[in-house]
Amino acid sequence: MRITDTAIDAVRVAVSSVTDPEYPDLNIQQLGILEDVVADSASIRVDLVPTILGCPALDVIEKDVVAAARASGYDVTVRFCMSPVWTPDRISEDARQILADEYTVAIRPREGPTKCPLCGRTALEPRSDVGGTACRSVEWCPDCRNPVEIVRSRQMGER
Amino acid sequence: MSPDETAKELVLAFADDELCVGQNHSWWIAVGPFLEEDLAFSSIAQDELGHARALYSLVSNDVDRVAYGRPHSEYRSAHLAELLCHDWTMALARHVLHDLAEEIRWTALLNSSWPELKAVATRALAEEQFHIHHGVSLARRLLSSPDGYTRLAPVLSELAPLGREYFAGSDVGLVASGVLNASLADQERTWMERVEEVFDEFELSIDWGASRPSQGRAGVRSEDFLALHDEMVAVLRIDPLATW
Repeated sequence: MRITDTAIDAVRVAVSSVTDPEYPDLNIQQLGILEDVVADSASIRVDLVPTILGCPALDVIEKDVVAAARASGYDVTVRFCMSPVWTPDRISEDARQILADEYTVAIRPREGPTKCPLCGRTALEPRSDVGGTACRSVEWCPDCRNPVEIVRSRQMGER
Repeated sequence: MSPDETAKELVLAFADDELCVGQNHSWWIAVGPFLEEDLAFSSIAQDELGHARALYSLVSNDVDRVAYGRPHSEYRSAHLAELLCHDWTMALARHVLHDLAEEIRWTALLNSSWPELKAVATRALAEEQFHIHHGVSLARRLLSSPDGYTRLAPVLSELAPLGREYFAGSDVGLVASGVLNASLADQERTWMERVEEVFDEFELSIDWGASRPSQGRAGVRSEDFLALHDEMVAVLRIDPLATW
């Protein structure tokens, strides 16, 4: 079977709406986990970028992607890519707003200081290297006196 | 052994180290000495198991079988990685020694001629930064207090020589072929210098020993491994078809 652009597009649409088990209001497209949908010899392959290698949600996401594609009439294989390396920069602007509003989770902006998702001020202080999951650390907002979770950058030399 | 087989053995040994340390760290979930440590060990355990999975997947299409289903003599883990460390001081000391070694081992693969291995190394090294920051800063803080020093210094000195086994095994042909960017002996030297440098001001008296231990790499399992492996495969034994 020749894989048409129409098929690739249909799969892209179907799998884009797969949500992240940890943030059910956000999909893998918004979080930058969906890298690409490509024709791979006789089948369609969905390339995903894991946020961290040890993420326990990877298997769930893989199953959900396969099921979403199946529901739209296509069988796909899933590949977890080692490169590019996922960073919070891959999270979309609308997703950042939802993370702040719904989950009290801050993302370091591409430029400028990180805002407290609760009061919007920018005096966050580091508190703990680790948060509720392996991909988050904890800071503290001295203005509104709340703890805030930050999605870890995991870039070399950064915390 | 052909260079390809030597490279696979090296990856397998690295994966086994990661599997054992990841599983061992997870023992501290819910019983860490304070909440931040509890979370830190859970997170780091998860990372190490993720690294093990990524490495196993380079040498096998059936990660679960290779991780859990081999005869004991086919595991290659270093005995330091196998140590249960159900004493907090030991767990912290092993964490620091292991992660300092990992940084050097991943760095030696950053420009590997094996493209998939290079990609895993780049990814994993980015995740290692916080392990090292966490372990080293906590260990240094504890060593700065008299009580912490009394407890931690002897354990660090005792476990450090065991860490030399991380650099045991064959690397014949791997530097020449570009799989490794530094020989195991060079990595070991860098690691020993790094351990001494990190703890320089605390005057640890580490006796590195005349030779590098290599029993684990040769297929001899420690007693601790038997208990660790039993726990790892407990669910699989009850229900071999269990899915997660």
